[in-house]
Amino acid sequence: MAALIEARDLTKKYGAHIALDRANLNVEAGRIVGLIGPNGAGKTSALRAILGLTNYEGHLTVLGREPFRDRTELMNECCFIADVAVLPSWLRVDQAIDFVAGVHPRFRRDRAMAFLAKTQVTGKRRMRELSKGMKTQVHLALTMAIDAKLLVLDEPTLGLDILARRAFYDALVNDYMDETRTILITTHQVEEVENLLTDIIFIDKGRIVMDTSLEDVATRFSAVAVTADRLDAARAEKPFYERHILGKVVLYFENADLGKLGSLGEIHTPSVSDLFVAKLSGAAA
Amino acid sequence: MNNSTWLIRREFWENRAIWMIPAVFGGLLLLAALFGQVSIPRLTSPKESEEAAAAFLVVVGAMFYLVMGVYSTWYLLDCLYTDRKDRSILFWKSLPISDATTVLCKLLIGMIIVPLVYFAAADATALIAAFILSIRARASIGSSLWNADVWGQVQVLWMYAIVTTAIWYLPIAGWLMLVSAYAKRAVMLWAVLPPLLLYILERVFFGTTTVGHIIARRLTGLPSVSFNGSKYVWTHEGGVVDNASSAAPSVWHLINPSGFFSSAEVWIGAAIGIALIVVAIQLRMRRSEI
Repeated sequence: MAALIEARDLTKKYGAHIALDRANLNVEAGRIVGLIGPNGAGKTSALRAILGLTNYEGHLTVLGREPFRDRTELMNECCFIADVAVLPSWLRVDQAIDFVAGVHPRFRRDRAMAFLAKTQVTGKRRMRELSKGMKTQVHLALTMAIDAKLLVLDEPTLGLDILARRAFYDALVNDYMDETRTILITTHQVEEVENLLTDIIFIDKGRIVMDTSLEDVATRFSAVAVTADRLDAARAEKPFYERHILGKVVLYFENADLGKLGSLGEIHTPSVSDLFVAKLSGAAA
Repeated sequence: MNNSTWLIRREFWENRAIWMIPAVFGGLLLLAALFGQVSIPRLTSPKESEEAAAAFLVVVGAMFYLVMGVYSTWYLLDCLYTDRKDRSILFWKSLPISDATTVLCKLLIGMIIVPLVYFAAADATALIAAFILSIRARASIGSSLWNADVWGQVQVLWMYAIVTTAIWYLPIAGWLMLVSAYAKRAVMLWAVLPPLLLYILERVFFGTTTVGHIIARRLTGLPSVSFNGSKYVWTHEGGVVDNASSAAPSVWHLINPSGFFSSAEVWIGAAIGIALIVVAIQLRMRRSEI
Protein backbone atom coordinates (compact mmCIF):
# COMPACT_ATOMS: atom_id res chain seq x y z
CA MET A 1 0.00 0.00 0.00
CA ALA A 2 1.21 3.49 -0.82
CA ALA A 3 2.43 5.52 2.08
CA LEU A 4 0.09 8.19 3.40
CA ILE A 5 3.01 10.32 4.48
CA GLU A 6 6.33 9.96 2.77
CA ALA A 7 9.35 12.08 3.63
CA ARG A 8 12.80 11.81 2.07
CA ASP A 9 15.61 14.01 3.32
CA LEU A 10 13.14 16.35 4.92
CA THR A 11 15.10 19.33 6.24
CA LYS A 12 13.99 22.46 8.01
CA LYS A 13 16.37 25.20 9.05
CA TYR A 14 15.70 28.26 11.13
CA GLY A 15 18.70 30.41 10.40
CA ALA A 16 21.71 28.45 11.61
CA HIS A 17 19.56 26.09 13.69
CA ILE A 18 18.68 22.83 11.96
CA ALA A 19 15.36 21.61 13.31
CA LEU A 20 15.01 18.70 10.89
CA ASP A 21 18.08 17.08 9.44
CA ARG A 22 17.42 14.92 6.36
CA ALA A 23 14.65 13.01 8.08
CA ASN A 24 13.04 10.03 6.35
CA LEU A 25 9.71 8.68 7.38
CA ASN A 26 6.83 6.61 6.14
CA VAL A 27 3.37 6.44 7.57
CA GLU A 28 0.93 3.93 6.14
CA ALA A 29 -2.85 4.00 6.14
CA GLY A 30 -4.81 2.58 9.06
CA ARG A 31 -2.02 3.04 11.60
CA ILE A 32 -1.77 5.02 14.82
CA VAL A 33 1.72 6.41 14.76
CA GLY A 34 3.48 8.08 17.64
CA LEU A 35 6.16 10.58 16.74
CA ILE A 36 8.12 10.62 19.92
CA GLY A 37 11.04 12.70 20.98
CA PRO A 38 12.32 14.96 23.74
CA ASN A 39 11.54 18.67 23.72
CA GLY A 40 13.22 20.44 20.85
CA ALA A 41 13.85 17.22 18.93
CA GLY A 42 12.09 18.44 15.79
CA LYS A 43 8.65 16.91 16.37
CA THR A 44 6.79 20.14 15.89
CA SER A 45 8.88 21.10 12.88
CA ALA A 46 8.09 17.76 11.27
CA LEU A 47 4.39 18.21 11.91
CA ARG A 48 4.42 21.80 10.66
CA ALA A 49 5.97 20.57 7.44
CA ILE A 50 3.49 17.69 7.12
CA LEU A 51 0.56 20.06 7.66
CA GLY A 52 1.79 22.64 5.17
CA LEU A 53 2.29 25.28 7.83
CA THR A 54 5.88 25.89 6.87
CA ASN A 55 8.15 25.50 3.89
CA TYR A 56 10.96 22.94 3.94
CA GLU A 57 13.68 21.32 1.90
CA GLY A 58 13.61 17.76 0.63
CA HIS A 59 10.82 15.55 -0.63
CA LEU A 60 7.52 15.32 1.24
CA THR A 61 4.11 14.08 0.18
CA VAL A 62 1.05 13.74 2.37
CA LEU A 63 -1.97 12.00 0.87
CA GLY A 64 -0.18 12.37 -2.44
CA ARG A 65 0.13 16.15 -2.16
CA GLU A 66 2.88 18.61 -1.42
CA PRO A 67 1.70 20.10 1.87
CA PHE A 68 3.09 23.62 1.65
CA ARG A 69 1.92 24.18 -1.91
CA ASP A 70 -1.45 22.43 -1.53
CA ARG A 71 -2.38 23.07 2.10
CA THR A 72 -5.93 24.11 1.24
CA GLU A 73 -6.67 20.91 -0.68
CA LEU A 74 -4.83 18.81 1.88
CA MET A 75 -7.02 20.15 4.67
CA ASN A 76 -10.07 18.66 2.95
CA GLU A 77 -8.77 15.22 3.86
CA CYS A 78 -6.55 15.87 6.83
CA CYS A 79 -7.39 17.36 10.21
CA PHE A 80 -5.17 18.48 12.97
CA ILE A 81 -5.35 19.50 16.57
CA ALA A 82 -2.25 21.43 17.42
CA ASP A 83 -2.60 21.80 21.14
CA VAL A 84 -6.11 22.13 22.50
CA ALA A 85 -5.78 25.73 23.58
CA VAL A 86 -5.99 27.23 20.11
CA LEU A 87 -9.71 27.77 19.72
CA PRO A 88 -10.09 31.56 19.82
CA SER A 89 -11.48 32.86 23.09
CA TRP A 90 -14.26 34.93 21.49
CA LEU A 91 -15.69 32.04 19.47
CA ARG A 92 -19.00 30.55 20.60
CA VAL A 93 -19.52 26.79 20.37
CA ASP A 94 -22.43 27.12 17.93
CA GLN A 95 -20.43 29.58 15.82
CA ALA A 96 -17.53 27.14 15.69
CA ILE A 97 -19.85 24.40 14.45
CA ASP A 98 -21.53 26.71 11.92
CA PHE A 99 -18.20 27.89 10.62
CA VAL A 100 -16.63 24.46 10.18
CA ALA A 101 -19.87 23.14 8.70
CA GLY A 102 -19.81 26.08 6.29
CA VAL A 103 -16.25 25.72 5.07
CA HIS A 104 -15.51 22.00 5.36
CA PRO A 105 -17.07 19.73 2.73
CA ARG A 106 -16.56 16.60 4.85
CA PHE A 107 -17.95 17.93 8.12
CA ARG A 108 -21.05 16.17 9.47
CA ARG A 109 -22.95 18.41 11.85
CA ASP A 110 -25.03 15.59 13.33
CA ARG A 111 -21.88 13.78 14.44
CA ALA A 112 -20.50 16.88 16.14
CA MET A 113 -23.82 17.50 17.88
CA ALA A 114 -24.08 13.87 18.99
CA PHE A 115 -20.60 14.03 20.47
CA LEU A 116 -21.26 17.33 22.25
CA ALA A 117 -24.58 16.07 23.59
CA LYS A 118 -22.56 13.66 25.76
CA THR A 119 -20.73 16.59 27.36
CA GLN A 120 -21.61 19.55 29.56
CA VAL A 121 -20.87 22.00 26.77
CA THR A 122 -23.74 24.13 25.48
CA GLY A 123 -23.91 26.08 22.23
CA LYS A 124 -23.97 29.66 23.46
CA ARG A 125 -20.83 29.38 25.56
CA ARG A 126 -17.69 31.18 24.44
CA MET A 127 -14.36 29.35 24.46
CA ARG A 128 -13.00 31.71 27.12
CA GLU A 129 -15.77 30.55 29.47
CA LEU A 130 -14.91 26.86 29.05
CA SER A 131 -12.40 24.83 31.03
CA LYS A 132 -9.46 23.35 29.18
CA GLY A 133 -11.07 19.94 29.30
CA MET A 134 -14.28 21.28 27.79
CA LYS A 135 -12.39 23.09 25.06
CA THR A 136 -10.75 19.79 24.23
CA GLN A 137 -14.16 18.19 23.93
CA VAL A 138 -15.31 20.94 21.56
CA HIS A 139 -12.20 20.63 19.45
CA LEU A 140 -12.53 16.87 19.35
CA ALA A 141 -16.21 17.14 18.41
CA LEU A 142 -15.31 19.45 15.54
CA THR A 143 -12.48 17.22 14.39
CA MET A 144 -14.17 13.85 14.77
CA ALA A 145 -17.16 15.04 12.78
CA ILE A 146 -14.86 15.51 9.79
CA ASP A 147 -14.53 12.43 7.66
CA ALA A 148 -10.78 12.75 7.24
CA LYS A 149 -8.19 10.24 6.18
CA LEU A 150 -5.44 11.61 8.36
CA LEU A 151 -5.65 13.14 11.82
CA VAL A 152 -2.59 14.84 13.22
CA LEU A 153 -2.36 15.59 16.92
CA ASP A 154 0.45 17.74 18.27
CA GLU A 155 0.88 17.36 22.03
CA PRO A 156 -2.91 17.07 22.20
CA THR A 157 -3.21 16.76 25.94
CA LEU A 158 -0.72 19.37 27.06
CA GLY A 159 -1.98 21.10 30.18
CA LEU A 160 -4.91 18.74 30.72
CA ASP A 161 -5.52 16.92 33.96
CA ILE A 162 -5.45 13.13 34.08
CA LEU A 163 -9.24 12.75 33.74
CA ALA A 164 -9.44 14.92 30.67
CA ARG A 165 -6.43 13.20 29.14
CA ARG A 166 -7.93 9.77 29.63
CA ALA A 167 -11.26 10.96 28.20
CA PHE A 168 -9.47 12.42 25.19
CA TYR A 169 -7.69 9.22 24.25
CA ASP A 170 -10.72 7.03 24.98
CA ALA A 171 -12.86 9.14 22.66
CA LEU A 172 -10.15 9.01 20.04
CA VAL A 173 -9.84 5.24 20.04
CA ASN A 174 -13.50 4.35 20.59
CA ASP A 175 -15.36 6.98 18.60
CA TYR A 176 -12.92 7.95 15.90
CA MET A 177 -10.42 5.34 14.90
CA ASP A 178 -11.30 2.79 12.27
CA GLU A 179 -9.37 1.06 9.50
CA THR A 180 -9.92 3.91 7.03
CA ARG A 181 -8.21 6.43 9.23
CA THR A 182 -4.68 7.18 10.21
CA ILE A 183 -3.56 9.09 13.26
CA LEU A 184 -0.20 10.72 13.81
CA ILE A 185 0.45 11.85 17.37
CA THR A 186 3.41 13.71 18.74
CA THR A 187 4.08 13.70 22.41
CA HIS A 188 6.93 13.66 24.83
CA GLN A 189 4.82 11.77 27.34
CA VAL A 190 5.38 8.30 25.92
CA GLU A 191 3.71 6.28 28.65
CA GLU A 192 0.43 8.04 27.95
CA VAL A 193 0.07 6.81 24.39
CA GLU A 194 2.03 3.61 24.24
CA ASN A 195 -0.95 1.24 24.52
CA LEU A 196 -2.80 2.79 21.65
CA LEU A 197 -0.02 3.09 19.11
CA THR A 198 0.61 0.64 16.30
CA ASP A 199 3.83 2.30 15.18
CA ILE A 200 6.52 4.38 16.77
CA ILE A 201 8.94 6.86 15.32
CA PHE A 202 11.66 8.19 17.59
CA ILE A 203 13.10 11.53 16.69
CA ASP A 204 16.08 13.25 18.27
CA LYS A 205 18.09 16.32 17.27
CA GLY A 206 16.21 16.55 14.00
CA ARG A 207 16.96 12.98 12.92
CA ILE A 208 14.78 9.88 12.89
CA VAL A 209 16.39 7.49 15.36
CA MET A 210 13.96 4.62 14.92
CA ASP A 211 10.86 3.88 12.86
CA THR A 212 9.13 0.60 13.57
CA SER A 213 5.80 -1.08 14.23
CA LEU A 214 5.04 -2.35 17.69
CA GLU A 215 4.83 -5.94 16.40
CA ASP A 216 8.42 -5.57 15.27
CA VAL A 217 9.48 -4.18 18.60
CA ALA A 218 8.69 -7.53 20.22
CA THR A 219 10.81 -9.48 17.76
CA ARG A 220 13.61 -6.98 17.35
CA PHE A 221 14.19 -5.81 20.87
CA SER A 222 14.71 -7.61 24.09
CA ALA A 223 15.80 -6.70 27.58
CA VAL A 224 17.42 -8.89 30.17
CA ALA A 225 17.95 -8.16 33.84
CA VAL A 226 21.17 -9.75 35.02
CA THR A 227 23.06 -9.88 38.28
CA ALA A 228 26.56 -8.44 38.53
CA ASP A 229 28.34 -11.81 38.14
CA ARG A 230 26.81 -12.36 34.71
CA LEU A 231 27.33 -8.82 33.50
CA ASP A 232 30.43 -9.50 31.45
CA ALA A 233 28.84 -12.46 29.70
CA ALA A 234 25.82 -10.35 28.90
CA ARG A 235 27.93 -7.47 27.64
CA ALA A 236 29.56 -9.84 25.17
CA GLU A 237 26.20 -9.96 23.35
CA LYS A 238 26.53 -6.24 22.57
CA PRO A 239 23.68 -4.49 24.35
CA PHE A 240 23.04 -0.96 23.11
CA TYR A 241 22.05 0.33 26.52
CA GLU A 242 22.44 -0.56 30.18
CA ARG A 243 20.41 0.53 33.12
CA HIS A 244 21.32 -0.10 36.74
CA ILE A 245 18.39 -0.79 39.04
CA LEU A 246 18.42 -2.16 42.58
CA GLY A 247 21.63 -4.11 42.30
CA LYS A 248 20.71 -5.56 38.94
CA VAL A 249 21.58 -4.38 35.48
CA VAL A 250 19.02 -4.30 32.69
CA LEU A 251 20.61 -4.67 29.29
CA TYR A 252 18.86 -3.83 26.05
CA PHE A 253 19.54 -5.75 22.88
CA GLU A 254 18.57 -5.45 19.28
CA ASN A 255 18.32 -8.60 17.10
CA ALA A 256 20.18 -10.60 19.72
CA ASP A 257 20.47 -14.37 20.08
CA LEU A 258 17.57 -15.13 22.42
CA GLY A 259 18.95 -18.56 23.33
CA LYS A 260 22.10 -17.07 24.76
CA LEU A 261 20.25 -14.25 26.51
CA GLY A 262 17.82 -16.74 28.07
CA SER A 263 20.65 -18.42 29.90
CA LEU A 264 21.69 -15.10 31.48
CA GLY A 265 18.34 -14.01 32.88
CA GLU A 266 14.70 -13.54 32.16
CA ILE A 267 13.98 -11.97 28.78
CA HIS A 268 11.20 -9.42 28.37
CA THR A 269 10.10 -7.04 25.67
CA PRO A 270 10.96 -3.50 26.63
CA SER A 271 8.13 -1.01 26.92
CA VAL A 272 8.02 1.90 24.50
CA SER A 273 9.12 4.30 27.22
CA ASP A 274 12.09 2.09 28.15
CA LEU A 275 13.01 1.69 24.54
CA PHE A 276 12.74 5.44 24.07
CA VAL A 277 15.10 6.14 26.92
CA ALA A 278 17.43 3.34 25.84
CA LYS A 279 17.54 4.41 22.21
CA LEU A 280 18.02 8.09 22.94
CA SER A 281 20.55 7.64 25.72
CA GLY A 282 22.34 5.03 23.66
CA ALA A 283 22.50 7.34 20.70
CA ALA A 284 23.88 10.10 22.87
CA ALA A 285 26.57 7.86 24.40
CA MET B 1 -22.46 30.04 1.16
CA ASN B 2 -18.83 29.98 0.16
CA ASN B 3 -15.70 30.37 2.24
CA SER B 4 -15.44 34.14 1.82
CA THR B 5 -18.92 34.67 3.20
CA TRP B 6 -18.06 32.59 6.24
CA LEU B 7 -14.78 34.42 6.72
CA ILE B 8 -16.61 37.74 6.67
CA ARG B 9 -19.17 36.49 9.18
CA ARG B 10 -16.32 35.31 11.36
CA GLU B 11 -14.81 38.81 11.31
CA PHE B 12 -18.11 40.21 12.58
CA TRP B 13 -18.17 37.59 15.35
CA GLU B 14 -14.64 38.40 16.37
CA ASN B 15 -14.68 42.17 15.91
CA ARG B 16 -17.94 43.34 17.33
CA ALA B 17 -16.37 46.80 17.36
CA ILE B 18 -17.05 46.93 13.61
CA TRP B 19 -20.64 47.86 14.36
CA MET B 20 -20.46 48.78 18.05
CA ILE B 21 -18.16 51.78 17.62
CA PRO B 22 -20.31 53.48 14.95
CA ALA B 23 -23.45 52.61 16.95
CA VAL B 24 -22.05 54.16 20.12
CA PHE B 25 -20.62 57.14 18.24
CA GLY B 26 -23.97 57.72 16.53
CA GLY B 27 -25.70 57.45 19.89
CA LEU B 28 -23.40 60.13 21.34
CA LEU B 29 -24.11 62.45 18.41
CA LEU B 30 -27.84 61.92 18.93
CA LEU B 31 -27.47 62.74 22.62
CA ALA B 32 -25.71 65.94 21.60
CA ALA B 33 -28.51 66.72 19.15
CA LEU B 34 -31.07 66.07 21.87
CA PHE B 35 -29.51 67.94 24.77
CA GLY B 36 -26.80 70.14 23.26
CA GLN B 37 -27.19 73.83 22.70
CA VAL B 38 -28.70 74.61 19.32
CA SER B 39 -28.11 78.05 17.88
CA ILE B 40 -28.81 78.14 14.21
CA PRO B 41 -29.33 81.50 12.49
CA ARG B 42 -32.64 81.94 10.72
CA LEU B 43 -32.38 80.70 7.15
CA THR B 44 -33.90 83.08 4.68
CA SER B 45 -33.19 81.94 1.13
CA PRO B 46 -33.62 78.49 -0.45
CA LYS B 47 -29.89 78.54 -1.21
CA GLU B 48 -29.04 79.08 2.45
CA SER B 49 -31.43 76.35 3.40
CA GLU B 50 -29.88 73.93 0.97
CA GLU B 51 -26.40 74.83 2.17
CA ALA B 52 -27.44 74.19 5.74
CA ALA B 53 -28.70 70.73 4.79
CA ALA B 54 -25.50 69.97 2.90
CA ALA B 55 -23.31 71.28 5.71
CA PHE B 56 -25.21 69.23 8.27
CA LEU B 57 -24.88 66.01 6.30
CA VAL B 58 -21.27 66.59 5.35
CA VAL B 59 -20.27 67.33 8.94
CA VAL B 60 -22.00 64.21 10.26
CA GLY B 61 -20.48 62.16 7.45
CA ALA B 62 -17.00 63.59 7.99
CA MET B 63 -17.08 62.74 11.67
CA PHE B 64 -18.00 59.13 10.92
CA TYR B 65 -15.39 59.02 8.17
CA LEU B 66 -12.66 60.10 10.59
CA VAL B 67 -13.62 57.51 13.21
CA MET B 68 -13.78 54.92 10.45
CA GLY B 69 -10.25 55.85 9.33
CA VAL B 70 -8.89 55.29 12.82
CA TYR B 71 -10.76 52.00 13.26
CA SER B 72 -9.84 50.59 9.84
CA THR B 73 -6.19 51.42 10.41
CA TRP B 74 -6.25 49.62 13.72
CA TYR B 75 -8.18 46.68 12.24
CA LEU B 76 -5.78 46.13 9.34
CA LEU B 77 -2.78 46.36 11.64
CA ASP B 78 -4.28 43.87 14.07
CA CYS B 79 -6.10 41.39 11.83
CA LEU B 80 -3.25 39.02 10.93
CA TYR B 81 -1.47 39.50 14.25
CA THR B 82 -4.07 38.57 16.90
CA ASP B 83 -4.66 35.02 15.75
CA ARG B 84 -0.92 34.44 15.68
CA LYS B 85 -0.63 35.93 19.14
CA ASP B 86 -3.38 33.75 20.66
CA ARG B 87 -2.30 30.78 18.48
CA SER B 88 -5.81 30.38 17.05
CA ILE B 89 -4.16 30.56 13.62
CA LEU B 90 -3.46 26.85 14.18
CA PHE B 91 -7.20 26.26 14.29
CA TRP B 92 -8.01 28.42 11.26
CA LYS B 93 -5.23 26.81 9.27
CA SER B 94 -6.59 23.35 10.00
CA LEU B 95 -9.52 24.22 7.74
CA PRO B 96 -9.46 24.08 3.94
CA ILE B 97 -9.31 27.83 3.38
CA SER B 98 -6.38 29.31 1.50
CA ASP B 99 -4.24 32.02 3.06
CA ALA B 100 -4.92 34.26 0.08
CA THR B 101 -8.68 34.04 0.70
CA THR B 102 -8.18 34.83 4.37
CA VAL B 103 -5.96 37.86 3.72
CA LEU B 104 -8.18 39.22 0.94
CA CYS B 105 -11.32 38.86 3.07
CA LYS B 106 -9.67 40.83 5.85
CA LEU B 107 -8.62 43.49 3.35
CA LEU B 108 -12.20 43.63 2.08
CA ILE B 109 -13.47 44.09 5.63
CA GLY B 110 -11.02 46.91 6.37
CA MET B 111 -11.38 48.78 3.10
CA ILE B 112 -14.99 48.25 1.99
CA ILE B 113 -17.20 46.60 4.58
CA VAL B 114 -16.20 48.72 7.57
CA PRO B 115 -16.70 51.92 5.50
CA LEU B 116 -20.14 50.65 4.39
CA VAL B 117 -21.11 50.01 8.01
CA TYR B 118 -19.99 53.54 8.94
CA PHE B 119 -21.86 54.95 5.95
CA ALA B 120 -25.05 53.23 7.09
CA ALA B 121 -24.50 54.45 10.65
CA ALA B 122 -23.84 58.01 9.44
CA ASP B 123 -27.06 57.95 7.41
CA ALA B 124 -29.12 56.59 10.26
CA THR B 125 -27.62 59.11 12.69
CA ALA B 126 -28.14 62.02 10.28
CA LEU B 127 -31.73 60.98 9.69
CA ILE B 128 -32.61 60.86 13.37
CA ALA B 129 -30.55 63.96 14.20
CA ALA B 130 -32.25 65.90 11.40
CA PHE B 131 -35.59 64.93 12.88
CA ILE B 132 -34.53 66.05 16.36
CA LEU B 133 -32.98 69.32 15.18
CA SER B 134 -35.95 70.17 12.96
CA ILE B 135 -38.18 70.01 16.00
CA ARG B 136 -35.82 71.75 18.40
CA ALA B 137 -34.93 74.58 15.99
CA ARG B 138 -38.10 74.66 13.95
CA ALA B 139 -38.34 78.44 14.20
CA SER B 140 -35.03 79.00 12.44
CA ILE B 141 -34.54 76.06 10.11
CA GLY B 142 -37.98 74.58 9.62
CA SER B 143 -37.75 71.64 7.26
CA SER B 144 -34.46 72.76 5.67
CA LEU B 145 -32.65 69.58 6.68
CA TRP B 146 -35.17 67.48 4.81
CA ASN B 147 -33.88 68.05 1.35
CA ALA B 148 -34.16 64.91 -0.77
CA ASP B 149 -31.84 66.24 -3.44
CA VAL B 150 -29.07 67.05 -0.96
CA TRP B 151 -29.56 63.65 0.72
CA GLY B 152 -29.20 61.90 -2.59
CA GLN B 153 -26.05 63.87 -3.33
CA VAL B 154 -24.48 62.94 0.01
CA GLN B 155 -25.12 59.25 -0.72
CA VAL B 156 -23.18 59.68 -3.96
CA LEU B 157 -20.45 61.51 -2.08
CA TRP B 158 -20.14 58.65 0.41
CA MET B 159 -19.97 55.94 -2.23
CA TYR B 160 -17.40 57.93 -4.16
CA ALA B 161 -15.38 58.53 -1.00
CA ILE B 162 -15.42 54.82 -0.11
CA VAL B 163 -14.19 53.74 -3.54
CA THR B 164 -11.50 56.41 -3.85
CA THR B 165 -10.36 55.92 -0.25
CA ALA B 166 -10.01 52.16 -0.79
CA ILE B 167 -7.90 52.63 -3.91
CA TRP B 168 -5.84 55.58 -2.67
CA TYR B 169 -4.97 53.99 0.66
CA LEU B 170 -4.29 50.51 -0.75
CA PRO B 171 -0.51 50.86 -0.27
CA ILE B 172 -1.05 51.95 3.34
CA ALA B 173 -3.44 49.02 3.89
CA GLY B 174 -0.96 46.65 2.25
CA TRP B 175 1.83 47.88 4.49
CA LEU B 176 -0.31 47.53 7.62
CA MET B 177 -1.27 43.96 6.69
CA LEU B 178 2.31 43.07 5.88
CA VAL B 179 3.36 44.29 9.31
CA SER B 180 0.43 42.45 10.86
CA ALA B 181 1.50 39.20 9.19
CA TYR B 182 5.17 39.70 10.05
CA ALA B 183 5.68 41.31 13.45
CA LYS B 184 6.22 39.18 16.53
CA ARG B 185 5.21 42.05 18.80
CA ALA B 186 4.61 45.81 18.81
CA VAL B 187 2.81 46.03 15.48
CA MET B 188 2.34 49.76 15.96
CA LEU B 189 6.08 50.34 16.19
CA TRP B 190 6.73 48.08 13.22
CA ALA B 191 4.21 50.05 11.19
CA VAL B 192 5.73 53.43 12.01
CA LEU B 193 9.45 52.90 12.59
CA PRO B 194 10.68 51.54 9.23
CA PRO B 195 9.21 54.44 7.20
CA LEU B 196 10.46 56.87 9.83
CA LEU B 197 13.91 55.31 9.69
CA LEU B 198 13.97 55.55 5.89
CA TYR B 199 13.02 59.21 6.18
CA ILE B 200 15.79 59.92 8.72
CA LEU B 201 18.44 57.96 6.79
CA GLU B 202 17.58 59.79 3.60
CA ARG B 203 17.80 63.14 5.35
CA VAL B 204 21.08 62.35 7.03
CA PHE B 205 22.86 60.77 4.07
CA PHE B 206 21.39 62.59 1.10
CA GLY B 207 19.98 65.71 2.69
CA THR B 208 16.73 65.14 0.78
CA THR B 209 13.20 64.38 1.96
CA THR B 210 11.70 62.40 -0.94
CA VAL B 211 10.51 59.54 1.29
CA GLY B 212 8.88 61.96 3.69
CA HIS B 213 7.14 63.74 0.83
CA ILE B 214 5.84 60.52 -0.70
CA ILE B 215 4.45 59.33 2.64
CA ALA B 216 2.95 62.69 3.57
CA ARG B 217 1.43 63.01 0.12
CA ARG B 218 -0.12 59.53 0.39
CA LEU B 219 -1.53 60.26 3.84
CA THR B 220 -3.03 63.66 3.07
CA GLY B 221 -3.28 63.97 -0.71
CA LEU B 222 -6.54 62.13 -1.37
CA PRO B 223 -8.92 65.16 -1.41
CA SER B 224 -6.77 67.06 -3.87
CA VAL B 225 -6.87 64.12 -6.29
CA SER B 226 -10.44 62.98 -5.87
CA PHE B 227 -12.18 66.37 -5.59
CA ASN B 228 -12.23 69.52 -7.69
CA GLY B 229 -10.55 71.46 -4.94
CA SER B 230 -9.61 74.50 -6.96
CA LYS B 231 -13.01 75.44 -8.25
CA TYR B 232 -14.95 74.94 -5.06
CA VAL B 233 -14.12 75.95 -1.53
CA TRP B 234 -15.36 74.75 1.80
CA THR B 235 -17.15 77.52 3.71
CA HIS B 236 -16.57 77.94 7.40
CA GLU B 237 -19.85 76.20 8.13
CA GLY B 238 -18.56 73.19 6.28
CA GLY B 239 -20.75 73.65 3.20
CA VAL B 240 -19.46 73.79 -0.30
CA VAL B 241 -19.67 76.93 -2.37
CA ASP B 242 -19.12 77.21 -6.07
CA ASN B 243 -16.58 79.95 -6.73
CA ALA B 244 -17.32 80.13 -10.38
CA SER B 245 -21.05 80.69 -10.29
CA SER B 246 -23.72 81.38 -7.77
CA ALA B 247 -25.58 78.17 -8.53
CA ALA B 248 -26.12 75.83 -5.59
CA PRO B 249 -23.20 73.42 -5.10
CA SER B 250 -23.65 69.98 -6.52
CA VAL B 251 -21.81 66.80 -5.70
CA TRP B 252 -21.41 66.21 -9.41
CA HIS B 253 -19.24 69.31 -9.62
CA LEU B 254 -17.39 68.48 -6.45
CA ILE B 255 -16.21 64.98 -7.25
CA ASN B 256 -13.54 64.45 -9.85
CA PRO B 257 -13.70 60.79 -10.94
CA SER B 258 -12.11 61.36 -14.33
CA GLY B 259 -9.19 63.11 -12.66
CA PHE B 260 -8.91 60.43 -9.98
CA PHE B 261 -9.13 57.39 -12.21
CA SER B 262 -6.74 58.80 -14.79
CA SER B 263 -4.11 59.77 -12.22
CA ALA B 264 -0.84 57.85 -12.51
CA GLU B 265 -0.25 58.55 -8.82
CA VAL B 266 -3.41 56.60 -7.96
CA TRP B 267 -2.51 53.53 -9.97
CA ILE B 268 1.17 53.45 -9.04
CA GLY B 269 0.05 53.50 -5.41
CA ALA B 270 -2.49 50.75 -6.06
CA ALA B 271 0.15 48.59 -7.73
CA ILE B 272 2.46 49.03 -4.73
CA GLY B 273 -0.48 48.17 -2.48
CA ILE B 274 -1.15 44.94 -4.39
CA ALA B 275 2.54 44.00 -4.19
CA LEU B 276 2.54 44.54 -0.41
CA ILE B 277 -0.59 42.40 -0.06
CA VAL B 278 1.03 39.61 -2.07
CA VAL B 279 3.95 39.73 0.38
CA ALA B 280 1.50 39.68 3.30
CA ILE B 281 -0.10 36.51 1.86
CA GLN B 282 3.31 34.88 1.49
CA LEU B 283 4.16 35.75 5.09
CA ARG B 284 0.80 34.39 6.21
CA MET B 285 1.61 31.08 4.51
CA ARG B 286 4.95 30.77 6.28
CA ARG B 287 4.30 32.16 9.72
CA SER B 288 2.07 30.46 12.22
CA GLU B 289 2.07 31.29 15.87
CA ILE B 290 4.52 33.72 17.38
